[in-house]
Amino acid sequence: MMYSRWYWRALVSPGLAWLGLFVLVPTYALVAVATGRIDELYRPIPAWNPAKWNVGFIREAFAAAVPGGAYWPTVRNTLLYVGAALTLCIVIGYPVAYYIARHARRTKALLVLLIVIPFWVSYLMRMLAWVGLLSPDGYVNQVLAAVGITQPPDWLGGYPLPVILALTYGYIPFFILPVYAGLDRIDRNLLDAGRDLGASPLRNFLHVTLPLSRPSLLAGCVLVVLPMFGDYYTNELISRSPRTSMLGNQVTLFMLGGPQKNRGAALVIVMMAILLLAMTYYVVATARDRARAA
Amino acid sequence: MDGGQLATRADRAPVGEIRVVGLTKRFDEIVAVADIDLEIRPGEFFALLGPSGCGKTTILRMIAGFEEPTAGTVVLDGEDLSRVPAHRRNVNTVFQSYALFPHLDVFGNVAFGLRRQKVPRAELRRRVGEALDLVQLGDQSRRRPMQLSGGQQQRVALARALVLRPAVLLLDEPLGALDAKLRKQLQVELKALQEQVGITFVFVTHDQEEALSMSDRIAVMQAGRIEQVGTPRALYEEPATPFVADFLGVSNLMTVEVEGSDSAGSWLRIGEFRLLAREGDRLARGVATIVVRPERIVLEPYYALEGENRLPAMVERTMYVGSAVHAIVRLATGATLQASVPNTGDAVNWQQGTPVSVHLPADAIRVLAVASPPTPRS
Amino acid sequence: MIGRARNPWRAPRFLAVGTWLYIAWALVPVAVAIMFSFNDGRSRSVWQGFSMRWWWGDPNLSLFHHPDYTQALVHSIRLAVLDMAIATPLGVMLALGLNRWRGRGSRPANLLMLVPLVTPELVMAVSLLLLFTQVAIVPFALVELGTTAQVIGQVTVSLPYVVVIVRSRLASIGEQYEEAASDLGASPLQALRLVLLPLLFPAIVASMLIVFALSMDNFVVTQYLSSDQSTATIPMYVYANTRGAATPALNALASVLVFLTLLASGVAFGVYAFAQRRVRRSGGSAVRELTALDR
Repeated sequence: MMYSRWYWRALVSPGLAWLGLFVLVPTYALVAVATGRIDELYRPIPAWNPAKWNVGFIREAFAAAVPGGAYWPTVRNTLLYVGAALTLCIVIGYPVAYYIARHARRTKALLVLLIVIPFWVSYLMRMLAWVGLLSPDGYVNQVLAAVGITQPPDWLGGYPLPVILALTYGYIPFFILPVYAGLDRIDRNLLDAGRDLGASPLRNFLHVTLPLSRPSLLAGCVLVVLPMFGDYYTNELISRSPRTSMLGNQVTLFMLGGPQKNRGAALVIVMMAILLLAMTYYVVATARDRARAA
Repeated sequence: MDGGQLATRADRAPVGEIRVVGLTKRFDEIVAVADIDLEIRPGEFFALLGPSGCGKTTILRMIAGFEEPTAGTVVLDGEDLSRVPAHRRNVNTVFQSYALFPHLDVFGNVAFGLRRQKVPRAELRRRVGEALDLVQLGDQSRRRPMQLSGGQQQRVALARALVLRPAVLLLDEPLGALDAKLRKQLQVELKALQEQVGITFVFVTHDQEEALSMSDRIAVMQAGRIEQVGTPRALYEEPATPFVADFLGVSNLMTVEVEGSDSAGSWLRIGEFRLLAREGDRLARGVATIVVRPERIVLEPYYALEGENRLPAMVERTMYVGSAVHAIVRLATGATLQASVPNTGDAVNWQQGTPVSVHLPADAIRVLAVASPPTPRS
Repeated sequence: MIGRARNPWRAPRFLAVGTWLYIAWALVPVAVAIMFSFNDGRSRSVWQGFSMRWWWGDPNLSLFHHPDYTQALVHSIRLAVLDMAIATPLGVMLALGLNRWRGRGSRPANLLMLVPLVTPELVMAVSLLLLFTQVAIVPFALVELGTTAQVIGQVTVSLPYVVVIVRSRLASIGEQYEEAASDLGASPLQALRLVLLPLLFPAIVASMLIVFALSMDNFVVTQYLSSDQSTATIPMYVYANTRGAATPALNALASVLVFLTLLASGVAFGVYAFAQRRVRRSGGSAVRELTALDR
């Protein structure tokens, strides 16, 4: 070892202390509140001692999250919207990433710049833009009127489709960038070898490019699904209706809208359980990929 | 090349003698260096030679202090370096990639070590100037490493290390990144520099020609162990193991049966032929390996197949390399040998497919013991 | 066969068209929203002519005269600067230490560092909210919701970005310069100060600017940990008023946000790419290095 042990220990301590205080402790606080009780004013009493954990709220939350329960419509909405938005992200985003990575030559640098820009434009600005465009007198309806559709849908009135489209619009840059990076990294020689061995462009794509881009494709999906699950603001801005409420809306209602913090914490735990399932799939899939490549 | 005040053989206080005892380095399960003993003499140009992964660079790094040995000690001028961190060792390194600090100019790079020693400004300026003159870069002190060629960067790296007057200079394949012509030129310059400055150089390389041409002594390594230590001549002409024989030039290794030995030499049987060998291990019996260098093999016309140590063969291929002709001949036993016939202007042409008589002079055949001998100190 | 042979390497045309259509779809709405900040009338959806009234023309309602707007702007910048000031040194030190650490604790430490990056921001926000409102022991009880809590939340979320950027730069720099410095007599601290930090400087500046941009754009954690109107940031303000009857001054406010974050991230990229040229390593573009978030 080049340096004595306390050199890097000293370097790492402040950051780790921060993370311990503001990541680990809050997580414990979350669990403690979810497993706590409430006093007469409905304020939460956290259960710091695991021995005193009350699983009542968590059990209630899980029970409410399955079909038939109180949260089920919300959970169903979330799964549906995230699934639909993810599909759209893949269907729209993958070809774009593919084109830029593999075929754009002179315009490549410009295109990369252009797909990075939305990544940095505030999510809320992008929603603001759409609220303006989708309002009854906005440009979307004007264009529709020009082609003869004079009874346009009520975009902002609380329907799933605009929410799904908004989610797609908002998060697709998070998908395109990692997929682009992965596709860009594929060695051109591998594709040349494929052509050399007689594969048509389509077969080359299906049997060489697509499998090689799987890891970054999965990464892109993860990068999109994770924030979507916690999204509440898209609904609030585009829909404003409890009809399209997602898990994030319900949690925010509990946490900021009144004295229901236990329920809120319990619901967050349910949400994390669902996410954990998705993440397990991701970990297993990438581990399998890695093992196959070894 | 004017050495000036830098340092001459006469006024060296630290002597630059390294003793390595039982040095071992393990990375998890892999043993990179296995129980190495070495003695590097003051002022010598010592090379660590071997294929990639043999541990030579790891040994260098342990001497420099960048790796901690798993076991064993490194002793410099009588001082055990185990407790001494790298920045306090009186040893400096020239890295394979030069590692010149990009954010400093040439002067700043060379002055770096002197500044850490708090050398006063006037003396610092003088010594940096001398070091740069020594490597013939006196007028480049304000340039940035990025603006220099590979050869120039290498010289700056040298100057940066030498200006500190270390007891030992470690060089980790310093010529690896240069093209062939520049390498040859710098090999000559480095050797001359070392003689002038008088510091012990420990030089790591995988290029046997480089090691042979520059070193006073070489340690040939394989898989973490030392195969043999000796002068270039001793290693080439008296290799102790087949590996050493084969690593340094063409070895023409052959398996033979040793029938016996007497005052004339060892009697060998190869196929249905008998050979007399005067070099190597007289005590070996049974199956053994012999080495014959290509330049010692004599090719004679086939009808002259008389006299001892002559084997019939067929010329399989010839390669004209300008200064010589390499002839690959296949013996009746099936083995192939490479013979090197110097281009003396004689019109003898060994055509492909010609039968020849291969004469292996008795004192050109060296019998190697089957088991490797312990590291000889020669 | 007469006529131009089709280039077998060319992509189907629909891919190129589709890509440019996507780009338009991604960028045009934002451009339109910015355009509306220059609208002459009160509408945010119908164009009524060009005017600067919402920027500074109107004495009461324009961006730079309306107290709520200017306060949101000021608070956003305040949080961003504090976030930068705290997250950058913490993150740089963490990156340096994690890079060197080989022992058994290094893997969990690395994972812990990545947690804020992979956790949905809502979960982090809820946890931190509960931390500051429910935990009665000293360091946390002292923090009330508001600026301090917001800064803490933002730093926690920004930290992994700094670490990832600095670490990827460290990886491409390699160990050689530190070893050379050490070889020449520099102590570990001297090697850090005289060699490593100068070489890392562009990455540090880039990560600072990225933190600035992230902070300006941050919404969830900032909202959850806010206290009252005085702790509103631009995103929070935009969120609260998008569905209301706000004037195009709101668009102007959002445009300022977009401008600042694009500027910060653009400069960050420029600094990083420029520095790449100095340390001579073969291959690899800056984009490739930055997007190599190998998780």
